[in-house]
Amino acid sequence: MKINCEFVERILCGFIREELGKSGFGRGILGLSGGLDSSVCAALAARALGPENVLGLILPYKDYVPQDIADAEDLTRRLGIRVRTINIAPMVDPYFAAEPTSDRKLLGNKMARERMSILYDQSARDKSLILGTSNKTELLVGYGTIHGDLACAVNPLGDLYKTQVRQMAVHLDIPAAIRSKAPTAGLWPGQTDEEEIGITYEELDAILFELVDRRRRVEETIGSGHDREKVERILRLIRGSEFKRRMPPIAKVSGRTIGQDFLYPYDWDK
Amino acid sequence: MRIVLAQIAPSLGNIRANFDLHLQEIDRARQEKADLVLFPELSLTGYLLKDLAEGVALRPDTDRYFQELKTLSRDIGLVLGFVEEKERGLIYNSAALLAGGEILDVHRKVFLPTYGMFEEGKFFAPGRNFRVVPTPWGKAGLMICREFLSHGAHYLLLAQGVELTLAVSAAPGRGLSEAEDFASARMWEVMAEAMSYFSGSFIAYCNRAGYEDGIAFGGGSFIFDPFGRRLVKGRPAERERIVQDIDLEDIRRARTVMPFLRDDRPEIILNALRRVVHSYED
Repeated sequence: MKINCEFVERILCGFIREELGKSGFGRGILGLSGGLDSSVCAALAARALGPENVLGLILPYKDYVPQDIADAEDLTRRLGIRVRTINIAPMVDPYFAAEPTSDRKLLGNKMARERMSILYDQSARDKSLILGTSNKTELLVGYGTIHGDLACAVNPLGDLYKTQVRQMAVHLDIPAAIRSKAPTAGLWPGQTDEEEIGITYEELDAILFELVDRRRRVEETIGSGHDREKVERILRLIRGSEFKRRMPPIAKVSGRTIGQDFLYPYDWDK
Repeated sequence: MRIVLAQIAPSLGNIRANFDLHLQEIDRARQEKADLVLFPELSLTGYLLKDLAEGVALRPDTDRYFQELKTLSRDIGLVLGFVEEKERGLIYNSAALLAGGEILDVHRKVFLPTYGMFEEGKFFAPGRNFRVVPTPWGKAGLMICREFLSHGAHYLLLAQGVELTLAVSAAPGRGLSEAEDFASARMWEVMAEAMSYFSGSFIAYCNRAGYEDGIAFGGGSFIFDPFGRRLVKGRPAERERIVQDIDLEDIRRARTVMPFLRDDRPEIILNALRRVVHSYED
């Protein structure tokens, strides 16, 4: 799981520069939560595109988690990227006043999609493309809001496990305040990923690496020292979240159907 | 002899832009007084074509780009990749070798990777042959990407006395470690070292750079000499022009020291292989 951060930085910066460039964009935009993934992505984008070509959006709800807002602001100053803060409370509060709920997940998902909506609007205003910040761990276990934080134009981090993103964070000089924070999806204050998934990222990544990258079978993964209950739970999470990683199926009735036999590259005509 | 490996990043589906890129590289190679310039696999079209493939297919005998390339090849050899329409409805992932104003060979990719991230078999017809052709520099054989990883394919070139294997590639970089390169880079060099050494011949391998649909192509183009020594290597996953002189007399020297080619017995291999193949059970 140890990576050569300098090499990975070069590959990911090249990816950001070339994928945006091919689409005719020289600028990137991303949401900054004050957490690890968005900070690493912002640092990579600043190196790839130049700090003036990166816009970080800080999108808090009311004054929730002031430390996160402060950390995100501090990061933008360190990186020299452009920043805007837009509070999402005036958008989501009227909706929940009309459609009240105490379900924290419903609240969190709605807020994630509100942030997505603002990101897309701001990206059009700024003539920039949205950089995704979901890592491989989250994508595999489905730990993200579909059409929320999972939505983006390109994702530089999606093939790095959380623990590898941590290695990149050290390499990219992300402040310790951000690196030492307990990872959170920010769906509600005080939420932490590891508590919610019930497993540490070290262990989660180790199991995913066995199952996915090394193509070990379940029994082999358990045999190499992992807890059966955890391995099986992770498998259920992977299986149950495939819909978040795919375009929705289209009912095939014609002779040539998008996604089935109408097959073009993403970089078509770029 | 001076070889240039043009580790370029073609644009996907844009022949005009790629042709111009070839012209620039050929021009620079000329200034370097190179004898031969290699481009990567599908260098005129880009790699991840999918349904775009048929729209960018060319017929080398009539196509105007090839007419121009033939003219250019009067004083510099060219190896490049393209989509070939051999006959209506049959398209191939092909490589062409041009020199002296002529097309010396068109090789159609035999082994089309169709697994995991690769889907060439969905879009291309497979070629059927590996051959060696005479060139101004000796006997040369073309290979395309995945074919380079087949020792059978190398053996077929060896059995024809290959002196210069010219391989074009669009190999993605895959796998991370603590090394400053993709893990997948190793297999190409392992094969090149073994095959150049045990055939006493030169191997020139040109891989592409750039990104398509998130895939980073691995670069790392190289030349091995007939003693199995790597003479030069391009940067991983980066555009680069690699210039290297080779001494073709090294072929004679290597084959004198280690007469692998002389002592090989293709007829025995063929007979034994025939028996093996006939004994296969379904």
